[in-house]
Amino acid sequence: MPLLEIKNLQLDFGRGAKALRAVDGVSLRLEASETLCLVGESGSGKSVTALSVARLVPSPPAHYVGGEILVEGRDVLKMSKPELREIRGGVVSYVFQEPGASLNPVFRVGHQIKESLKLHRPTAATDTEVIRLLKLVGIPAPESRIKSYPHEMSGGMQQRVMIAMALASQPKLLIADEPTTALDVTIQAQIIELLRELKQRLGMAILLITHNLGIVGDLADRVAVMYAGQIVETDAARELLQRPLHPYTRALMHSVPSLTAHVERLTAIPGNVPRLGAFPGGCRFHPRCPIARSECANAIPELVEVEPQRWVRCPLWQT
Amino acid sequence: MNLLKVQNLKVHFPVKRGPFSREREFVRAVDGVSFFVATGETVGLVGESGCGKTTLGRAVIKLIEPTDGRIFFNGENLAALDAETLRARRQKFQMIFQDPYGSLDSRMTVANIIGEALDIHRLAPAPAARRERIENLLNDVGLDPSHAQRYPHEFSGGQRQRIGIARALAVEPKLIVCDEPVSALDVSVQAQIINLLQDLQRARGLAYLFVAHDLAVVRHISQRILVMYLGRIVESGDAKEICRSPKHPYTQALISAVPVVDPDSKRQRIILAGDVPSPIHPPGGCPFHPRCPVAEARCKTEVPALREVAPGRHTACHLATVEK
Ligand SMILES: Nc1ncnc2c1ncn2[C@@H]1O[C@H](COP(=O)(O)OP(=O)(O)O)[C@@H](O)[C@H]1O
Ligand SMILES: Nc1ncnc2c1ncn2[C@@H]1O[C@H](COP(=O)(O)OP(=O)(O)O)[C@@H](O)[C@H]1O
Ligand SMILES: [Mg+2]
Ligand SMILES: [Mg+2]
Repeated sequence: MPLLEIKNLQLDFGRGAKALRAVDGVSLRLEASETLCLVGESGSGKSVTALSVARLVPSPPAHYVGGEILVEGRDVLKMSKPELREIRGGVVSYVFQEPGASLNPVFRVGHQIKESLKLHRPTAATDTEVIRLLKLVGIPAPESRIKSYPHEMSGGMQQRVMIAMALASQPKLLIADEPTTALDVTIQAQIIELLRELKQRLGMAILLITHNLGIVGDLADRVAVMYAGQIVETDAARELLQRPLHPYTRALMHSVPSLTAHVERLTAIPGNVPRLGAFPGGCRFHPRCPIARSECANAIPELVEVEPQRWVRCPLWQT
Repeated sequence: MNLLKVQNLKVHFPVKRGPFSREREFVRAVDGVSFFVATGETVGLVGESGCGKTTLGRAVIKLIEPTDGRIFFNGENLAALDAETLRARRQKFQMIFQDPYGSLDSRMTVANIIGEALDIHRLAPAPAARRERIENLLNDVGLDPSHAQRYPHEFSGGQRQRIGIARALAVEPKLIVCDEPVSALDVSVQAQIINLLQDLQRARGLAYLFVAHDLAVVRHISQRILVMYLGRIVESGDAKEICRSPKHPYTQALISAVPVVDPDSKRQRIILAGDVPSPIHPPGGCPFHPRCPVAEARCKTEVPALREVAPGRHTACHLATVEK
């Protein structure tokens, strides 16, 4: 049984005629101690998908229209409030983009981590355990740091504290939603290195959300690429980066400049990322796609296993 | 002759020590920076947040008054000009911003945003000529001229950045300071804007001071790169060369930290310890020494000068060896 299995998830914002489908038939599988990267541009539905795993999307406005989210075989969409509390911060922990916004400014960081311990592992709610967690996430001089307030720490250090808090419950799945996007590159490299170490040391599964394909190569075992509420390609990370198959993945990789190779001119993707409510009919990428044909406008292509373990939502992937 | 020449530029901001303190301290946002930009050239400026990139860009185009140093534009010392002449010269340098939405007046139509720039410098007093210029500018930046009467919120992020570019171009500048112009855009839209900036440069002979934290983007668009750390330039030189063989340990770390898509890249990662120190109390000696993996005793006490270590390459590091 996989640790997490999302099957054909459909989520709307609003109801009736005003309903907008933000997540449209997303399926994902994550085995224990595996790292899956969910990649896509802003608005593609990554955060909403990830937050759904612990039912953290406010509803209303959100409505689950269809599908299942199985965490260790149990459907989160059918759980009672007490069952959900057990999942949240228990089996599944989150780390978000803005550590400053997630930490409470009026409490010392040691206190906040201890609160998290009290909730999930009451017997371990001690200073010793807090210090051990801070050490685990690479905070120097943790004995004195437990008394710091969040504003006395840099963004990178705050993110380490957030990770320590997420680890307090010894989760089986860590969901990190753009954990390095707000950080400088050298600090981003530190946090990615930390996640890589933690993954090896603790053997937990990670669902990492990012818009940066470069980070995929650093951490992921597998990748799922999202566009306009749908998964368009999912592969082993290495295969995807070496030979992307969906025209969107290919175009995205070609449109970013490289640090080593030289091109005179970037291959830009025309047009804009479609907004929710304005998704084009047929294949959602077809108006921007370099190989689109007229039939691409007719029906949404299926996500098909075109090679073992390689799923692509494009019948023209070989062209 | 160089279009822009900056000598020993300093911008220090006064800050209060605490809420009840009368004592003043200074943020040394830019602390003795010298460089030049040639006509039609792109110079990239990289460094982590807070290192002084925006302040430097603003000081160069006289949006803020420098504390010290000199700025020459076409050989003319800007500080020596009277107000009237300075106003005329300012037309020749413009700025585009990271957040095109925040920098556009949401109550004005696109036509008026661009028209305002024309009006300030009295470039098209007749209504027909003014309208035609606005239409041409919209065309040049890839926007539909029939959308001239729309408001900024009716456009996507990438289109708003195009409006910002059209406004900057309206006064026919020679130099545009581009402050993180693609950082807030979707990845798939960034390349459009980068290509547009390059096309406009070729067509109009523009020079750019291109500020960004994405080294790959800066390498792609720039002929030369300046690497900034705590208000100072620590390395400068040819864009491709700096990325191929960085000499300053900070540049080396910065380059090795860039996530790369190639799964087979055998890069040696340098993970820097610690955070960027405060520009209020920068470390003594080499400002990078507390994070530097190769620092020696003298790095704690002696400030390294920016010196030429290879033709066209300058590095502010005691340990950088000179290539013969
Ligand atoms: N609470 C909400 N109410 C209405 N729309 C929302 C809400 N949260 C997200 N959305 C919309 O759902 C879509 C997907 O959002 P999100 O998952 O945050 O995208 P991503 O994380 O990929 O950038 C977007 O169009 C967003 O505007
Ligand atoms: N108006 C100001 N008053 C005081 N400090 C400032 C002001 N503007 C910028 N600073 C400080 O100067 C330093 C450089 O800022 P900035 O030029 O914005 O850096 P960057 O653009 O590289 O992120 C930072 O420490 C910032 O807090
Ligand atoms: Mg998101
Ligand atoms: Mg800035």
